[in-house]
Amino acid sequence: MRDTIGESDARLALTAVEHSRQQVIAEIDMPRWYWLGLAAGWIGLGVIADVGPGWLAVAATIVFGAAHAAAAQNVLSGRRRSAALSVRAELAGTHVTALVIGFLLGLVALTIAAALLIDADGANHPATIAGVMAAIAVALGGPELMAAVRRRALQNVPS
Amino acid sequence: MAEPRFDELIHPSTRLSIVALLAAADWVDFAFVRDRLSLSDSALSKQFATLESAGYIVIERPMANRRRRVHVRLTDAGRCAFEGHVAALRQIVDSIGEPATP
Repeated sequence: MRDTIGESDARLALTAVEHSRQQVIAEIDMPRWYWLGLAAGWIGLGVIADVGPGWLAVAATIVFGAAHAAAAQNVLSGRRRSAALSVRAELAGTHVTALVIGFLLGLVALTIAAALLIDADGANHPATIAGVMAAIAVALGGPELMAAVRRRALQNVPS
Repeated sequence: MAEPRFDELIHPSTRLSIVALLAAADWVDFAFVRDRLSLSDSALSKQFATLESAGYIVIERPMANRRRRVHVRLTDAGRCAFEGHVAALRQIVDSIGEPATP
């Protein structure tokens, strides 16, 4: 084998392999529409909770949850940002879906807590204000969360 | 870890980059590979034909949004060959500095 290829050639080839791996890792993400849609929905639910009747807020929450479940099932893993490729699970990490769901559940809890605190403070439209805060956290934190997933994937040395 | 096995078919630089891209994904769209490696359609098609005839890749043409896409995926044989080739490359690099065996 040594007669066929030298150490420097082998090193160059491994560098090319790693470059290709990095190009695929750069595709680990969720579509932009997902985060923007989620942020818009969060604000919408807050507005409905403030100005609409109770039954409408409950119905809107159920509809939003169902719509999210349908829209997110193919993108939550972070492996299908676009129609260009599907990143292998062992490269993206199998924990991405749980990470995103945990992030969203944490935000739900924070939104409720924020709305209760704002309401106790006597401000008008507490759910809307809390919804806007959560929407900003989703729009900024979501992509940052996926960037962290990509950084982690880069650090994982293939066996 | 895969058994080191140098693969002459995979080793040429363009083909190695193609296979490495495919190895990191379940499937890859033709256009993605073409754009990332700055290849022409015909040049990439030739490389795919070589890999396909070796049984290293399969080419699928699913319909998506009324458009026919070209998806390429590595076969088990292709993945095995790639992993063996990478292991062989690592072995070459790692063995530098080791005393030569008589």
